[in-house]
Amino acid sequence: MTTTSRPHGAPDDASPGSLRERARRAIEEQPSPTVTVLSSLLAAQDELGYLPYEAIDEVSMCTGSSVNEVWAVASFYPNFRFTPPARHSVEICWGPTCHVLGAQPILQGIVSHLGLDGEGDTEDGSISLKYNTCLGVCPHAPAMSFDHELAGRMSLDEAVSRVERIRSGDDGADGRTSRG
Amino acid sequence: MADEITITIDGQEVTTTPGKMVVQAANDAGIYVPYLCYHPGMKPYGACRMCVVEVEGQRGTPASCTLPVRDGMVVNTKGDEAVKVRDTTLDLLLSEHPHGCLTCHRIDLCGPQDICLRHVDVVDRCVTCPKNERCELKDTTRFHPQELVSPLTYQYRNLQVETKDPFYDRDYNLCIVCARCTRACDELRGDVAIGMTERAGQVLVGTVMGDSLLESGCEFCGACIDVCPVGALTETSYKWERPARVEQSVCAECPVGCTMTYEVNHWERVVRAVPELNSPANMGQACFQGKFGFEYVNDKRRIRKPLVRRDGELQEATWDEAIAAAAEGLAQYKGSTFALMANPRNTNEELYAAQKFARAVMGSNSVDVASNDRPGTVEGLQDVFGYFAGTMTTWELADSAAVMVVSANLTEEQNVIGVPIKRAVRNGTQQLIVIDSREVELTRYASLWLRPYPGTDPVLLGGLLRCIVDNGLADMEFVNERAEGWDELAACLAPFTLDAVAAETGVSAASIEEAARVYAGSGASALLLGGDGSVGGTRRTMSRMAAGLAIATGNVGKRGAGVMPLYQGANGQGAWDMGIWPGATPGHNLIQETPEAREALGALWGAPVPLEIGSGNRHMFDRAREGAIKAMLVLDDHVHYEDGTLGDVTGGLDALEFLVATSAFPSAVTERADVVFPAEVWAEKTGTYTNIERRVQPLRKVAKNKRVDSRSDLDVVCAIAGAMGARGFSWDGPAQVLDEIGQAVPEYAGISWERLLRERLDIVTTPSDEPQPTQVMYTGNVLTGLQWPCAAEGSADEPEMFVSRFRHGKAQLQPVAWHPRPTAGAEFPLMLAHGRVLLEPGRKPNVTVVGKRNRVEREERFVLNPADAAAARLGEGDAASVTTADGSERRGVVALSDAVPAGVVSLTTLFGELAVEVDSSDRPDPMNHIARLNAVPVRIAATSHAGSPSP
Repeated sequence: MTTTSRPHGAPDDASPGSLRERARRAIEEQPSPTVTVLSSLLAAQDELGYLPYEAIDEVSMCTGSSVNEVWAVASFYPNFRFTPPARHSVEICWGPTCHVLGAQPILQGIVSHLGLDGEGDTEDGSISLKYNTCLGVCPHAPAMSFDHELAGRMSLDEAVSRVERIRSGDDGADGRTSRG
Repeated sequence: MADEITITIDGQEVTTTPGKMVVQAANDAGIYVPYLCYHPGMKPYGACRMCVVEVEGQRGTPASCTLPVRDGMVVNTKGDEAVKVRDTTLDLLLSEHPHGCLTCHRIDLCGPQDICLRHVDVVDRCVTCPKNERCELKDTTRFHPQELVSPLTYQYRNLQVETKDPFYDRDYNLCIVCARCTRACDELRGDVAIGMTERAGQVLVGTVMGDSLLESGCEFCGACIDVCPVGALTETSYKWERPARVEQSVCAECPVGCTMTYEVNHWERVVRAVPELNSPANMGQACFQGKFGFEYVNDKRRIRKPLVRRDGELQEATWDEAIAAAAEGLAQYKGSTFALMANPRNTNEELYAAQKFARAVMGSNSVDVASNDRPGTVEGLQDVFGYFAGTMTTWELADSAAVMVVSANLTEEQNVIGVPIKRAVRNGTQQLIVIDSREVELTRYASLWLRPYPGTDPVLLGGLLRCIVDNGLADMEFVNERAEGWDELAACLAPFTLDAVAAETGVSAASIEEAARVYAGSGASALLLGGDGSVGGTRRTMSRMAAGLAIATGNVGKRGAGVMPLYQGANGQGAWDMGIWPGATPGHNLIQETPEAREALGALWGAPVPLEIGSGNRHMFDRAREGAIKAMLVLDDHVHYEDGTLGDVTGGLDALEFLVATSAFPSAVTERADVVFPAEVWAEKTGTYTNIERRVQPLRKVAKNKRVDSRSDLDVVCAIAGAMGARGFSWDGPAQVLDEIGQAVPEYAGISWERLLRERLDIVTTPSDEPQPTQVMYTGNVLTGLQWPCAAEGSADEPEMFVSRFRHGKAQLQPVAWHPRPTAGAEFPLMLAHGRVLLEPGRKPNVTVVGKRNRVEREERFVLNPADAAAARLGEGDAASVTTADGSERRGVVALSDAVPAGVVSLTTLFGELAVEVDSSDRPDPMNHIARLNAVPVRIAATSHAGSPSP
């Protein structure tokens, strides 16, 4: 437990651009008037794409909690991830409408195409696949999103070619997912 | 009483007080309600739902641990509905815990090697669990009247058992997620080194990202183990041992004097220590030393027989031969050539007998206790208040509105004193001022942290006093009524102007003013006086200043206020009370100033008390080297004999002509002795200890190491005195010695062994065959001890001292002097301020596994004032080495900070490093050999990055 927000000694590397510095800035620049552990965690993950130890540590300092308390909150929510995300995100909706209109074969096809067992990151670190309970575009079911760009009326072939397109366009540039 | 209410539980009328929860009211009345997550002393939580009851006129089955009592409430703990809910709850709980044995009717008949007809997996069997027969879940399940035929499948969690950390083993396969451990860590200790992780079916106890306890901020106090109802948290040593009996005694590691219940197994080994839940000294808390530092009692390496030096070699001898040899040898050194060095683990009775021997038989006042290396810390209090003692009790610190801690590594050396402070700070009811050049655990709780240059604490306290006077913050009514010498003291404060003090100490004037305002204005301020930030001859001034601060602000003699000197040694207070002081006789009477006390003592002993003031602490060994002291009696071993605190001890011992030592283990002292007696350790003794709050507590024999033919130091001293023909040493046991102490020390007059065994809290608990947490099971007859002064049999003791008068009526304020800061030499121009914390925010430690144990590996970081760094031509991130005068070197990298005063190298290491070091030590008694963190002169120089870890 800490009552003082900043360490008295010198912290670890906090040079501009470091994970710690980016996390700290994101936490400090939250626009909302009420800053909580949860809001700080979200801000840090929005910035970094995941929550490294440095982000947990910074949240603990900014909110005057122990790192273990912050971890208790962070580990509670499946929305937080603690390893760097893949370079691109692919989300597939398996809500009721998409399910009825054929999401399951697409989902299974994509999973096997990517060589995965289910949700997760591909081995080459290019794609994070997530299931989504509703992408909010039921009139266009079955729906998917590629790097947060929605696409509707999907078929398996279309889905595979879109996946390959974002993967081949991969120049290592930042197409990072936010919020896992 | 008006605030008593009556409720009915299971048809029985129970009188209780508002604010209590039903489960507690029931337990207090001896009515059992099953529970697994409730624990007395922690806030209502309601996790397990085992304690559900029915209440007339209320729907449903509320959990009695979160249900406050109401007048006229009618509670039924055994209603059908409640039992049904409990049934299901237990089913659900067991679906998460190995329970093949728990629901088996053969459970009583099973041994570990038996072939199991029900095919309970070996890892799932109760008989292979370390908590078997001590398990609350098992007891609760078996106490449950219904047959449990769980339709739920159980799946072993298959988690790795965490055994790499020091002291604890954690097996979360057995965890029932009652959250007692996390609440203990949070509510009781204020650490939050563990928390709940994940959620729903996956919820468990853990640390951030599954880190080891070494990097999560754990202080290894054992509070979580003490409350764990199952086998998830256990002590590593003697993990599977079951107690054959339990004994209540007092811990011998530090002056807090925690009452502990020790578990003893069939082989007379002390296997576990459980802090007493209701003891007024520790309120159910302990620390890493008390919880895990008792093992030396059972050690095989103890000295087994008396040894006598013959032909230059120590050889085994009989007790009679050794006593005769010691008596014969000592008889030749009567007078001031003899000195006695006692031990803070000695009982009051041993200390009294030892100083009586030194004074009445040997005719020397050279008596001291090894822990008393800083007599100045209490001398000033004696000057002002009249006693070498503090004025407070430990747990009234919870009610202090402000606490000022002066240079003390409190959370390590007197750990439990830190607990009420941490709790109060976290509750927001207390402001904490820490004066320390090092970063220690309490600085993280401090609302104000003053970092003076090491050695300038006396000046800083003077500055605070002057600031209080100058700003009209002094309580002059209190001063005029209760003290003398104020004008002389005030005149001495002339040089302590704000600017001069700020310049001398390196603390900003604004901080000094703020600290003065907080201390003077809180209404109830405590001052905890450590000696780590002052040097030799200046400490008496410092403690006079501290007493002056308390008097000037009226902060003495009322609840939550006072001065408490922080010293080392379990019975350091008792040593001073017993006259183990070269210039004072029993009862804090200065030898030369109080002839009447000296004569009364001489009459009691039938032998005159020598008038010449003796040599104490390091002077004793200096004088031995000079040849002025020729013979010594040294009782037991101490860290100060080897860490340089008492100067060149071995050189002094080498120069002696005759040395008698008692010791449990071979040491540098016994190597040099002419006669060595195998000493009993504290757990083998009967007697009394006096703790830091002046509480005289009975120490009772816990166990006896059967390999060893040892006797207590009391027996040894009396036998030697008897062999020398002295009278007055033929007591029949410690109780009689305590009676004589009552005659010699008026403050102890009302304290007798019989009374100490009578002074107890009678805690009502449910019958012990009903399931209970271990701490609840062991509480019951808590011996509270008596706080002196306790003037007569039957008179009450005095938790709060000096309420209406000081020892000599008015407090005698003393003049003080300005002690300039210690000058740094040219060769070692900087002071290394080395502190230790549990966890340093912003810096992630590295833990690696060496062998099968975790080890902290962390680059050391030397934080310098930019001015010093520029002078040494060092910049941020440069590799550097710090060298002390004795040649030891530390390597690390440089960081710059304005917060560090000029002339200081600040280094903060982690408690985990100490924990690993102590845990992996080969020494029989490592807790007794932890060196203090003193500031030392150093020089710093750049090193090349090669060979040192990269930043």
